[in-house]
Amino acid sequence: MLLILPIILFLIVFFLIPYANMVYMSFLMKPAEGAYVRQFTLANYARALGDPFHWKVLRNTFWYSILTAAIALVLGYPVAYHLTRASGRRRAWLLVLLISPLLVSVVVRSFGWMILLGRVGLINQLVRSYGGPELALMYNPFGVVVGLVHVYVPFMALAIAGALQNISPDMERAARSLGAGQWRVFWRVTWPLSLPGVFAGTLLVFILAVSSYVIPILLGGSNVLVMPMLIVQMLLDAFNWPLGSALSMVLFGLTGALLWLYVKLLNRALRWSQP
Amino acid sequence: MRRGPLSGWGLGAAVTLIYVFLLVPILIVVAAAFNAGEYLRFPPQGFSLRWFVRFAQSESFVRAFLFSLQLAVYATLASTLLGTMAALFIVRHARRVRDALRLLMVAPLQFPAILTGIALLIFFYATGMGTRGMRPLFIGHTLVALPYVFLTVSTVLFGFNRSLEEAARSLGAGPFVTFRRITLPLIKGGIISGALFAFITSFDQFPISLLLISVGNTTLPIALFDYLRFSYEPTAAAVSTVSVLLSVAIVLLIQRLVGLEAVSWGGPR
Repeated sequence: MLLILPIILFLIVFFLIPYANMVYMSFLMKPAEGAYVRQFTLANYARALGDPFHWKVLRNTFWYSILTAAIALVLGYPVAYHLTRASGRRRAWLLVLLISPLLVSVVVRSFGWMILLGRVGLINQLVRSYGGPELALMYNPFGVVVGLVHVYVPFMALAIAGALQNISPDMERAARSLGAGQWRVFWRVTWPLSLPGVFAGTLLVFILAVSSYVIPILLGGSNVLVMPMLIVQMLLDAFNWPLGSALSMVLFGLTGALLWLYVKLLNRALRWSQP
Repeated sequence: MRRGPLSGWGLGAAVTLIYVFLLVPILIVVAAAFNAGEYLRFPPQGFSLRWFVRFAQSESFVRAFLFSLQLAVYATLASTLLGTMAALFIVRHARRVRDALRLLMVAPLQFPAILTGIALLIFFYATGMGTRGMRPLFIGHTLVALPYVFLTVSTVLFGFNRSLEEAARSLGAGPFVTFRRITLPLIKGGIISGALFAFITSFDQFPISLLLISVGNTTLPIALFDYLRFSYEPTAAAVSTVSVLLSVAIVLLIQRLVGLEAVSWGGPR
């Protein structure tokens, strides 16, 4: 019992209570001066949900995140497939290549994209040396999505590889021996069996992308505004903790609602696809 | 050896391109750090270490670097101790509440770090602790590093053969001797890997730090971020390169100690 007590205490005091406190804060009043007064109000939620500007920011945040999850799936799936089919030593090295970027700071990776995508960046230098026009690759949603996809492909690939790893090779062999071609085996056996990994990966990447902050700032500049940026501005610059907390709750709630919808749709699709 | 149905050239080429996409932005930063010119041009203008010298001479970067190292060491020690204890308890002793406890242990990983940072900021002000000094950062970093230690040590413990411990006990060893001589050496690799994950999580931590730093206590990622918002000259690349090398060293160490495969899809993500 002594082993677990300190950590439970630590998590209650520095994780559960702060979050509970944030929920509480979102119902407090913001006076003209000072941070907050202990008086119950729904005004913060009315403001958070009533402002069409907030909805625009929310829509952008979710749109970039959905796009990121979809592209990361397209890129992550082949990587996972290739990884689980590689033999021992090769697989170990592929994993080093896949996990190393994961452990490099997001700030450093954004910097790499700034060098590549910038107005006088390497790609534009290359294009111009062939007489091409200057391309706007950064400080717009395009740059943000490129950066997000770059960060989340390894997460997606690892989630899918986990599922592919559990498929018995006998299944595929059996399908082959019954005369199914390569693509048929893939679509009828491997892909359906890997779906749990695909769900886990897309959910994870979506959640992570919704709350990303560094990439939208560095690669989006002043042309992109996502929810985490708005919330941090509200807290640190406008010093409005109640409204910042309410906006955080709105982000939580809507993300949860979208995920619930996604899981429901997937379950229905799964039921249809089964004979 | 398992050969899949789609192991042809097409898949190989596509996957190679994706790995290039993953690695190029990182390699380009390293290349920029060793480039002699003021700006990064293609082709590069010769090899030079001048930007590393500039880094070493920059007081703000060096101070942030040392501060980050110190903070990461403290957060690693705390999260490794707490996380290992929790893993031992949950894997071995918890029965009915095991799932609930596991959920609680990994919760800091599931919640967006930026919102956790905000919650902590408000909490520290509300309780009068404030955000001065290293303490708030230490708490925040320990919090987000904990799940990694817990998951890695749990993974090792699940694959652990308990008959060795029973043998030691039956030969007359007490619980502490058994732990020190049998259990600890066997799960050492897992603990060290967890600690390495915790270290890099803290050293690279951004969202929590952004909200909890105070004047004079800036971490390296924040210093780099502030710098990049206004300019990107190669000193930042030299700083980044040091951080990249640290990450690569840690990946290779974990690979040697327990194998990346065990920690990538052995336990929950």
